[in-house]
Amino acid sequence: MATTTATVSINSTDLLSSPLSLSASTVCMKAGTTIGLELVEAGRGEIKEADASKTAEFGLATALGNDTACKVYMCNNATDPTYYIDVDIHDTNLGRLYAGDWMFIPWSQTDVAAEIVIEAEPAGAICPYEYAVFKEAETLEDHS
Amino acid sequence: MATTTATITIASDITDYGININKTMTMTKADTTIGLEETTGLASQSFAAVTQVVLIDVSATAVTAAAGGHKVYIRNTGTDKAEHFKITLADTTDDTEEIGRLYGGDWMLFPWLATDANEDIYVQPSTSNKMTIEYMVFHQ
Repeated sequence: MATTTATVSINSTDLLSSPLSLSASTVCMKAGTTIGLELVEAGRGEIKEADASKTAEFGLATALGNDTACKVYMCNNATDPTYYIDVDIHDTNLGRLYAGDWMFIPWSQTDVAAEIVIEAEPAGAICPYEYAVFKEAETLEDHS
Repeated sequence: MATTTATITIASDITDYGININKTMTMTKADTTIGLEETTGLASQSFAAVTQVVLIDVSATAVTAAAGGHKVYIRNTGTDKAEHFKITLADTTDDTEEIGRLYGGDWMLFPWLATDANEDIYVQPSTSNKMTIEYMVFHQ
């Protein structure tokens, strides 16, 4: 069994009147179990702005992955502070990853229409990105 | 201007060569290098019913509309990996989409558009056992 540990540390000395120091750590398990996630897809790419359309499906939800306990890490490695990656779950806009921003979310792929879609913005933007998807092992279906 | 950093570390032996991710971001306002200056503070809420409720209400969070630089941290403070919170996001038409499920100890940090009053964040516990979630919004 693999052990994948994700830790976050959030710090600020001047956001509040007292220093902020918050940390959390979790071992990523299969849904409802204490068995670690067993698959990973990771890589990096570059996404360019394209007018009036979502330009890339970063992750494809699959019937095999429905209701599982995937975790998704993604980072926008652009350096221009005006360049961002719009992140959608299917047709719902989660938010914008601005240059240097990362996100870490669970992704339960409730159905095959739960894909993660990314798009670079604004016009002319080119965003290098990196990602990792930690997944449950999938039982492959018979070849037909 | 405030400086707030968030660092993620992911360590895994999921492959023979291992995976190590370490990344730090400074939370900034949209389109700038100016740090986010407002926060809800760290909040905690407990539940004892299997009912979907609004956890973070756009209208109650004082986010600047059309800003786009907000960040949300949410954590299931429990330790039971069999219990989870469904985390769901609504779009501008109030249509909801499940993002994922936070099992015991799991956390998430993500950008939040929040440009429309409907784009609230919902949670739904998986059990009527007492479950607690903590959350914090960093916003413009």
